[in-house]
Amino acid sequence: MAAAKQADRRTAFLLIAPAMLVLLGVNVYPFLYALYISAHTYTLGRPTPPRYIGLFNYSDLLEDDRFLNALLVSFKFVTLAVSIEFLLGIGLAFLFSARLRGLATLRKLAILPIMVMPLASGLIWFYILNENFGALNWFAILLGSPERIRFLTGDPHALLSLVLADAWQWIPFVMLVMYAALQSIPEYVYEAAKMDGLTGWQTFLRVTLPLLAPAIWVVVILRAVDAFRMIELIYLMTRGGPGGATETLSWYIYSTGFLNQDLGYAAAQAVVMMIVVTIIAQIFVRRLEYREAK
Amino acid sequence: MTDVAITTKSQTRAVVRLRNWTVYFGACAFVGFALFPLYMMITTSVKTDQQAFAWPPVWVFTPNFNAYYNALFVFGGRGVGHYLMNSLLVTVASSALAVFLGAMAAYGLARFRFLGNRDIAFFILSTRFAPPIGFIVPIYLMATRSGLLDSPIALIIVYTSMNLSLATWLLRGFFLEIPIEIEEAALVDGYTRWQIFLRVALPLVRPGLAATAILSAILSWNEFLFASIIAPGNAATIPVFLSGFSASMNIDWAEYMAVGTMAILPIMLFTLLLQRHLVRGLTFGAVR
Repeated sequence: MAAAKQADRRTAFLLIAPAMLVLLGVNVYPFLYALYISAHTYTLGRPTPPRYIGLFNYSDLLEDDRFLNALLVSFKFVTLAVSIEFLLGIGLAFLFSARLRGLATLRKLAILPIMVMPLASGLIWFYILNENFGALNWFAILLGSPERIRFLTGDPHALLSLVLADAWQWIPFVMLVMYAALQSIPEYVYEAAKMDGLTGWQTFLRVTLPLLAPAIWVVVILRAVDAFRMIELIYLMTRGGPGGATETLSWYIYSTGFLNQDLGYAAAQAVVMMIVVTIIAQIFVRRLEYREAK
Repeated sequence: MTDVAITTKSQTRAVVRLRNWTVYFGACAFVGFALFPLYMMITTSVKTDQQAFAWPPVWVFTPNFNAYYNALFVFGGRGVGHYLMNSLLVTVASSALAVFLGAMAAYGLARFRFLGNRDIAFFILSTRFAPPIGFIVPIYLMATRSGLLDSPIALIIVYTSMNLSLATWLLRGFFLEIPIEIEEAALVDGYTRWQIFLRVALPLVRPGLAATAILSAILSWNEFLFASIIAPGNAATIPVFLSGFSASMNIDWAEYMAVGTMAILPIMLFTLLLQRHLVRGLTFGAVR
């Protein structure tokens, strides 16, 4: 019996070890390595060896206006994109829940953007929003705009254009998930609410919303984390411009490391970003863990 | 959500009809918004250069497929086929590995009790949240040191790890759903634990394996950041190729749109295949 148990433990170890090895090698070790690099000056393509400078990169961060700006831009982008995606997505989930002929087909068409390669969606939106020949400017003028709109080089415009492109891709995702969550609420719950004399609005607030809460959590956290890391649209559409108006933390790290070749400083920024994301992720993981434990 | 179909007698038919039309209108408007950019990409890929740049935009024209011909056989001396093949190789290899390693880990976590089981499961889940940009500098240096820079192997390893949290979590859920009695019966019949895993449990979660494989493949196919840094040249994948677009002065819109169309059409087909498990996969099993 004891031998069987030991054999079981060995089997479990052998099953899990390969995946853990990959994750340790490609996640944990690089994170530790990033900590190490962040304590050095390390310039890409220069033959001089990295030089130890302690926490100097981090103290630099505190005085770096571009870094603070990047944090702010990231915050603006994430809040704007996620709240628009969430509100429209949940609204559409209710809309698509109406039992009408043909809606199922429309729903399947509506979710097509989810899987589009983000770089390709950047390419499409770059084309549509182009100042000289873009279709959206054509619509704008058709609708009475006196001049062409600088969608990608204007100051609030550029960030809003990124939000638009991001929302195009992810509203369908929120809609899809919330739709599934709505469908999973059994009919009798609504019947009971009706018997208790709740009005439509009361039913929504006291019955539907609490039942949707777990799905809402999942969607909002996933979206926030992914919007925070988004880089493809910026790469293609604005490259951080104009004047840093769309320079998010992701983009700043990318450009510090691989456009300005300053790997040590980029690593320090990356470490800060990892800490922020880890905090958000922990909220998600803890909630899931709590639900599983129940 | 009160149903439109169930109506009280006090509601006149006109009100119901108005409501239905509003729903249809909203749904159609949104579908139009969702499809318009895809329509633009596909139509631009069959425009001529002048048509792609024209102001006002050309809406009606005779399609021609020169851009596809150029992209496949002429583009920069080396056709886009090379990059499509790179993408395909990296995608297939990394999703196969992720599904295989993920299924093993998932089965170990779902069926064996040991200290730290849940900690390991949640550690694996939490790697999903780590932003790639946080690893990009060390991964770049690791790839350079090991001589794997610009080789598909480096990308395959990175993507396998990227997809492992998804694979493990989704499949863990699928394994937990199969009744344990089937495996207990197999144990009584003298199967070893490994035989049970390979011959009994794995076939039972086949839909889960398919969903995981498709979703992993899509994520690998679409990934840009790692590819742009560790596979910038010969091993470049399709997104890296597309990103070269913003750097080139002489932009050929139709050809880039043709490449973009070729890059996203296979994925659309996959998405339609995946419908049944799409939500479950996208939310790591949290919503079904």
